[in-house]
Amino acid sequence: MSATATTGRKRKGTAPRGVPYLFLAPAIILFTLFLLLPIGYAIYLSFRQIKVSGLGLGKGSRTEIWAGLDNYASALGDPELLGSALRVLAYGLVLLPIMLGLALLFALLLDAPRVRFGRFAKLAIFLPYAVPGVIASMLWGFLYLPAVSPFNDVIGALGLPEPNMLGGGSVFFAIVNIAVWGGVGFNMIVLFTSLRAVPGEIYESASIDGASDLQIALRIKIPLLMPSLIMTTVFSLIATLQVFTEPLTIRSLTNSISSTWTPLMKVYRDAFSQNDIYSAAASSVVIAVVTLVLSFGFLRLVSRQAFGGENR
Amino acid sequence: MRPSIGKSLAAAALATTLLATAACSGGGDTEEEPTGPVELSFWSWAPGIEKTVDLWNSQNPEIKVVLSKQAGGADIVTKLLTAAKAGNPPDLAQVEYQSLPTLVSNDVLADIAEQTKDVKDKFPAGAWQQVTLGTEAVYAIPQDSGPMMLYYREDIFKEMGLTVPKTWDEFAATARTVRQKDSAKYLTTFSAADPGWFAGLAQQAGASWWGIDGETWKVSVNDAATKKVADYWGGLVTEGAISGNPMYTPEWNKSLNDGTIIAWPSAVWGPGVLEGNAPDTKGKWAMAPLPQWSAGENKTGNWGGSTTGVTAASKHKTAAVKFATWMNTDTAATDSLITSGAIYPAASAAQASQHLQAPPAFFPQQADFYTSAKTIADSAAGFTWGPNTNVTYDTYKDAFAKAITDKTPFSAALDVMQSATVADMQKNGFTVAG
Amino acid sequence: MTTVLHDQDLATVRAGARKRTSWLGSSILILGAVYCLLPIAWVVAASTKNGSDLFTTFTFAPGTGFLENLSDLSSTGDGIYWTWLFNTAIYAGVGGVLSALVSGISGYTLAKYRFAGRNAIFNVLLAGVLVPGITLAVPQYLLLAKVGLTDTYWAVLLPQIISPYGIYLARIYAAAAVPDTVVEAARTDGAGEFRIFARVGLPMMVPGLVTVFLFQFVAIWNNFLLPFIMLSSDDKFPVTVGLFTLLNQGATVPALYSHVIIGSLLSIIPLIALFLTLQRYWRTDLISGAVKG
Repeated sequence: MSATATTGRKRKGTAPRGVPYLFLAPAIILFTLFLLLPIGYAIYLSFRQIKVSGLGLGKGSRTEIWAGLDNYASALGDPELLGSALRVLAYGLVLLPIMLGLALLFALLLDAPRVRFGRFAKLAIFLPYAVPGVIASMLWGFLYLPAVSPFNDVIGALGLPEPNMLGGGSVFFAIVNIAVWGGVGFNMIVLFTSLRAVPGEIYESASIDGASDLQIALRIKIPLLMPSLIMTTVFSLIATLQVFTEPLTIRSLTNSISSTWTPLMKVYRDAFSQNDIYSAAASSVVIAVVTLVLSFGFLRLVSRQAFGGENR
Repeated sequence: MRPSIGKSLAAAALATTLLATAACSGGGDTEEEPTGPVELSFWSWAPGIEKTVDLWNSQNPEIKVVLSKQAGGADIVTKLLTAAKAGNPPDLAQVEYQSLPTLVSNDVLADIAEQTKDVKDKFPAGAWQQVTLGTEAVYAIPQDSGPMMLYYREDIFKEMGLTVPKTWDEFAATARTVRQKDSAKYLTTFSAADPGWFAGLAQQAGASWWGIDGETWKVSVNDAATKKVADYWGGLVTEGAISGNPMYTPEWNKSLNDGTIIAWPSAVWGPGVLEGNAPDTKGKWAMAPLPQWSAGENKTGNWGGSTTGVTAASKHKTAAVKFATWMNTDTAATDSLITSGAIYPAASAAQASQHLQAPPAFFPQQADFYTSAKTIADSAAGFTWGPNTNVTYDTYKDAFAKAITDKTPFSAALDVMQSATVADMQKNGFTVAG
Repeated sequence: MTTVLHDQDLATVRAGARKRTSWLGSSILILGAVYCLLPIAWVVAASTKNGSDLFTTFTFAPGTGFLENLSDLSSTGDGIYWTWLFNTAIYAGVGGVLSALVSGISGYTLAKYRFAGRNAIFNVLLAGVLVPGITLAVPQYLLLAKVGLTDTYWAVLLPQIISPYGIYLARIYAAAAVPDTVVEAARTDGAGEFRIFARVGLPMMVPGLVTVFLFQFVAIWNNFLLPFIMLSSDDKFPVTVGLFTLLNQGATVPALYSHVIIGSLLSIIPLIALFLTLQRYWRTDLISGAVKG
C-alpha cells in the first residue's frame, strides 16, 4: 500500500537525459502520424468548402476554397445538431446511473461473502463486451421488432397489449438498453477487481465489530471504490457522447430514428452519405471540444481523487 | 456453351488490335501503354458476377479484370468518392443510375462518349438517357434495369376473393377490403426507408425531379405528379389501410413469409428478393403490371438498376470500356449475368435472351413472366437525376419517417425534400432555379 | 509490495466469514446473468434455423439447419468468410501485441523517469481518448492514400497501435508493479536503460500488458469504420466489414440474415475463448488506479 511513497522518493542513479524521449519515440511518432496529423487535417478541412460552377458536370467544375467560419456557423446554428446534442445528454443522464449502478451492484454482490453462482454470473454478465456493437444492435433489433420479438409473443399470449419497443417514445430506452447490456459487464469487472485489491483484514475487523454485509458495502466498500467509480464514469461519459453504432443500426428497422439522432450520426451522414467532409469536420471539432469540456468539468467537480497515486 | 478456342483467339486478337489502335490514335496523355497485358480493378456488389468476370478473363488474357465485391447501393458511392478524392479509385465500378450525376459532378467518372459510339443503339432510349444525363457525354454503360411491377400472393387473393387492382383507385379499395376481411393482414406497406422505391412510383406518375435548362439545374421534387403520389400513399397510411413499416427488415421478411403482407409493388428483380426472404412461398406469388393512375394507361417507373462506369483516374480507359461494353452487350456475357446473377439486363437484345424464356424458378406457374416484363420495361419513363440525389434520398428517409409517425401530410414531407435539395445545391454553388 | 491479492488468497481470508447463502443476492446475480445471456441464446437458436424458419418459428426454438447454414456460409464467395475471420485475427492479434508493447514502454517511461515535459506529453496522449474514431477515419484515409498505403494490411494495423487508453493503463501499472528500488539496483549494476526495461520492467508488467492487449484486441476486433474506409479488396476485409457487405447488398438482393447470424456467432467464439484463456492474467483493476504497490 505504498505506491505513493516509493515512487515519490528521490532517485539515486540517474538515467541519461535522452533516454525517456527515445523510449517514448514510438508512441509519439505513431500518435503524431495517426492522431495529430489527421486532427490537424480535419481542422484544416473544417475551414474549407466546395464551390461548384454552373451545372457542375464538366471536368474541374468543382474547386475547394476557403470557407472561413461558415462551416462552424452552420454547425453551431443547426437546430438538428443542437437537438441531437440535447438528446444525447438526456441519454447519458439515463444510461450512466443505470449502467454504473448495476455494475456497482453486481460487483458488490460478487464480492459479498454469502452470494453463490459468482463465477458463472461474472462470466455471463461480462460476455456482451465481446459482442461488436453492430452485431449487438442487430440481435436486439430482432428482439425488439414486434412481429418477430419473443417478448411480444409471450405478452400477446397472456392477452396483454403488445408494446412496440421501436415506437417513437420507447426507442430511446431501447437504445439505452443496448448500451447497458454491452457496458455493464465491463464496468462490473473494473469495479470488482478494484474491490479485490482491498485487503481482506479491513472487512474482517468491521465484521467482528458486528457490521452486516450491507453496512460493510455501504460504509466501507463504496467509499473505497470512489476513484474507480469516477474513472469509469469519465470513460463511460466519453463513450456515451460518442454513441452512434447502435442507433445507426437500429435506424433501418424503424421510422422513429432520424439520420441526425445523435451528433455523431450527423457527422457520419454529412461525411459518408452526403459527401460533405467539410461540414462533418466542423461538427466533429465542436463535438470534441464539448466532450473535452464536459469530461474535464466532471473531473474538476469530483476533485483529483481519480488521478491520485503516483501522478503528482 | 463454351466458346470455341478459335473464337477466343479471335477475341484476343481483336482486343490487342483495338488496344493498339487506341494507343496509336493517342486518346490522351495518360492513356494505356501500347502493348502488354493490362490489369483492371472492378468494384461490384452483384451476386454471381464473378462468373461473368471469369468468363472474360478466360477469353482475354491481355486484359485481366480483378473483381472486388463491395457493399452495394449508397455504400459503394461513398467509397468511390473517397477513393477518387485520394486519387486511387478502381478502373471500373458498378453504379446505380441515380448516383451517376453525383459521381460525374465529383469528377469520378470518365466521359466515354468517344469509345461508345456504336453502343447506344443496343439499349432502350430511357436507359441510355440516364447514362448521358441528357448531355452529349456518356458516363456509364447500362447494366440492368428495374422496371416496376406488382407482386401479389395469388393464393391469398383467391382465398379472400380479391381481384388484381388495375388502377391505384382499385388498389386503395383492395387495401381497405383486406383490412375489413382480416385485421391481421395488410395489402402492402409504405416504406420510408426506400427512397428509390418512391422515386420509381413518382416516375410512373410523370414526375420530373431534376432537369437541365442550358446552364441551370431545375429542381422540382415536389411537382404536382409527385405530390399526387405522396398524398395518395399518405392517405392510405394515415387511415390505416396499409402498413407504414419499413421494408427490408426482419419484420418485413416475416410478413412476406406468413402472409401478413400480401402484395408488393416492386421491380423485375423482385423474385430473387422474395425467394431469398420467403423461400417457403414459392409458386404462391404472381406478377401483374403496376396499377395505373388512369384506367387503360400503360406506364411504369424504374426502381434500382445499375450501370458500369469507367473512372476518370483509370489509366486504361479504352480497355475498361471494352470490358464494360462486352459485359453488358455481348450475348455470352449477358446470358451469364442472367443465369448466375439473376440480373435483368438493360440491353434490348439481352432482354429477349433464351434464358429469359422460362419464368423465374420462384414463379413456376407464370409462364409468360419475362414476356410481360419486357412489355412493361418498354413502358418505363425516362428520368433525369440530380447531382445531389444522396441529399434528396437522405431527406426522404427522415421526412417521410417523421410524417408516418406524426401522421402529417406526405406532401409536406416532399416540400422538405425540395427545400433541402435546393439549399444543398445552392450552398455548393450550383446554378439552380428552384 | 502487497501488490494484488489473488482470488484464492481472498477466498481463504474470507472463508471464516462465510455463513449461509444469501439467496436475494444470488438471485439478483442470476437475473443479471440471464439478461446478458438472452440475446446470446437467441443467436445460438437463430443460427440453427434455415431461411424461412428464422421468421416463422418461435424465436428461441432451435431449428435443424445449423450445418446447412455453416456450409452455405462457407461456400459464399469461395469461403471468403474464413479469410475475413483470419484477417480479423491478424489485425487484432498483431495490432494488440504491438499496442501492448508500445503502451508498455511508454507507460514505463512515464512512470519511472523524471524529465521535462513528462506531464505535458502524458496529458496530450491521454486527450486522444476524446477524439471520436469516425472523425479521424476520413482524414486518416486521405493521408494514407498520399503515401499509397490504403487497401493494405498496414492501413488497418498502423492507426490502431497507438492507444491512449493503453498508455494510461500501462503507466498506472508500471508505477505500482515496478518498484523504483529494483530499477535502481539494476542501474547500479551497470545495466543499460533498455536492458533494465526489457529484463526487469517488462516482465513485472506482464499482467498489466495482457490487459492492454486484451482491450486493444477487442477494440480492433470490433472496429468497423476504419477498415470499412481503408480497404477496398474484399480479401483483406475483417469479419465485421465482410458481414456488413453480406447484409447490405442494395435493394435488389435479399439480405442474407441466416448467413450473417451464423457468421456473427462464429466471430464471437474466438473472443470468448481468448477471454477464458487469458482470464488468469487479466488485470482490469488498473483502469481505476486501484493497483497499490
